[in-house]
Amino acid sequence: MNQQDLDPDSTTDVGDVTNTEEELIRECEEMWKDMEECQNKLSLTGTETLTDLNAKLSLLIMQVKCLTAELSQWQKKTPETHGNVFRKLTFSIQIQIIPLTEDVLLTLGKEEFQKLRHDLEMVQSTMESKNEKLKEDLEREQRWLDEQQQIMESLNVLHNELKNKVETFSESRVFNELKTKLLNVKEYKEKLLITLGEFLEDHFPLPDGSVKKKKKNIQESTVQLITLHEMLEILINRLFDVPHDPYVKITDSFWPPYVELLLRNGIALRHPEDPTRIRLEAFHQ
Amino acid sequence: MSVLRPLDKLPSLNTATILLVGTEDALLQQLADSMLKEDCTSELKVHLAKSLPLPSSVNRPRIDLIVFVVNLHSKYSLQNTEESLRHVDASFFLGKVCFLATGAGRESHCSIHRHTVVKLAHTYQSPLLYCDLEDGASRPCCGQPMRHERKKSPP
Repeated sequence: MNQQDLDPDSTTDVGDVTNTEEELIRECEEMWKDMEECQNKLSLTGTETLTDLNAKLSLLIMQVKCLTAELSQWQKKTPETHGNVFRKLTFSIQIQIIPLTEDVLLTLGKEEFQKLRHDLEMVQSTMESKNEKLKEDLEREQRWLDEQQQIMESLNVLHNELKNKVETFSESRVFNELKTKLLNVKEYKEKLLITLGEFLEDHFPLPDGSVKKKKKNIQESTVQLITLHEMLEILINRLFDVPHDPYVKITDSFWPPYVELLLRNGIALRHPEDPTRIRLEAFHQ
Repeated sequence: MSVLRPLDKLPSLNTATILLVGTEDALLQQLADSMLKEDCTSELKVHLAKSLPLPSSVNRPRIDLIVFVVNLHSKYSLQNTEESLRHVDASFFLGKVCFLATGAGRESHCSIHRHTVVKLAHTYQSPLLYCDLEDGASRPCCGQPMRHERKKSPP
C-alpha cells in the first residue's frame, strides 16, 4: 500500500489530523484498487501499431475518442466531486484528490501565505540592498563631481591669471627694447675700453728715455714701439676678425717685456710651432 | 513483448521513466546526464536504447515518455527511428512520444532535410524539438522541454 504525502500539519487538532489521515488512507486504498482493476482490463486490450500511411488518421481518431471520453468524465464528475478535486494552476493539469476538509484548507492556505510572505521578504531584502548600493553609488558620484568641479574652478582661476599676464605682442616695443639694450651694451663697452686704456697707460707705460743707458750696445730700435693698449687691440681684433687663425706675428714694434708679461700671465699664447706668433687667449669661449 | 505499450504495468511511485531511442550512444548519454542534473520534485529514470524493439528479458518499469533522437546528419538515424516507430503501440502517441532533432545548426552537414522530420512528427501527432547536443549550453535547455513533455503527458 502506498501512502501519499500527508499535507495537513500539526497546527490542527490531533484528533482532526488522525481523522483526515484515516480518510486519506482509505481513499488511497480505494483508488489503488480501482487502478488495479483498470490495469487488468487494459492488459486484456490488444496492441496496435501504426504505419506511416494510417498513422495520422488513426491517431486523430484515437484522440477524438479520448477527448470525448475525458469530456464525459468531467461532466459526470463535476456535480458530485468538485469538492474532492483540488486543481493546481500550472501549465499541466494535475488532479490530486484530497478530501477538502476545513483543516486541510486552513493548513494549505497557511502554507501558501507563508510562502508568499517568504518571497516578499526576499524581494524586500533584495530591494533594500539594491537601494543601499544605489545610495553609495550616488554618494560616490557626487563626490567625484565635486572634485571635478573644484579642479575646474582652480583651472579657471589659473587660466585667468595667465591671460592677464600675457602681454600683447608689439613689434615696436621689442625693437625699442633691443635698441636700448644695444646702446647700453655699447656704452658699457666704451666705458670698459676707456677704463682699460687708462689703466694700461697708468701702469704699463712705454719705455721712453728713462731707460738707463747702460746697455748702449743694444741697438736703439728704429721702429716706433706701440703701447700695450695697442698691442692688445691688435690681438683682440685679430681674434675676432680671423677666428681660425688668430695668430699675430711679433714685430719689432712689440716691446718684448710686455710680450713676456702677456705670455706669462696667460693673456696671450704662443703658437705651438712658431715662437714668433702669439694669439689672445679666448676668454669669451 | 515486441511492441511497447504505455499502460502495460502499474506506475512506479513518484517516478517517471523516459526512454531515449537513438543511434548515437554518446549523444544519448549526454542528454540523459543533463536531464538527470535538473532538479525536480519527482524522481526520473532514463533508459537508453539504440532501437526498438527492446529485449524482453530485461525487467523495466513502465515507460512514461519515449524520445526519438534523430540526427540530421545521418540518414541511418532516420531509418532506425522509422523502423523503431513500428514497434510502438498506437496509444503511446497520444502525448507520450516526442521527437528530438539534433544537428540542425550545421546546415552543410545535414543529409536529412528538416522538412522530413517535421512531416514525421506531424504524421505521428507528436511534438518536435530541436537541439544541438554538441553545444554544452543547449543541453540543459533541451532537458527542460523534456521534463515539460513528461509532465504534460497524462499520467
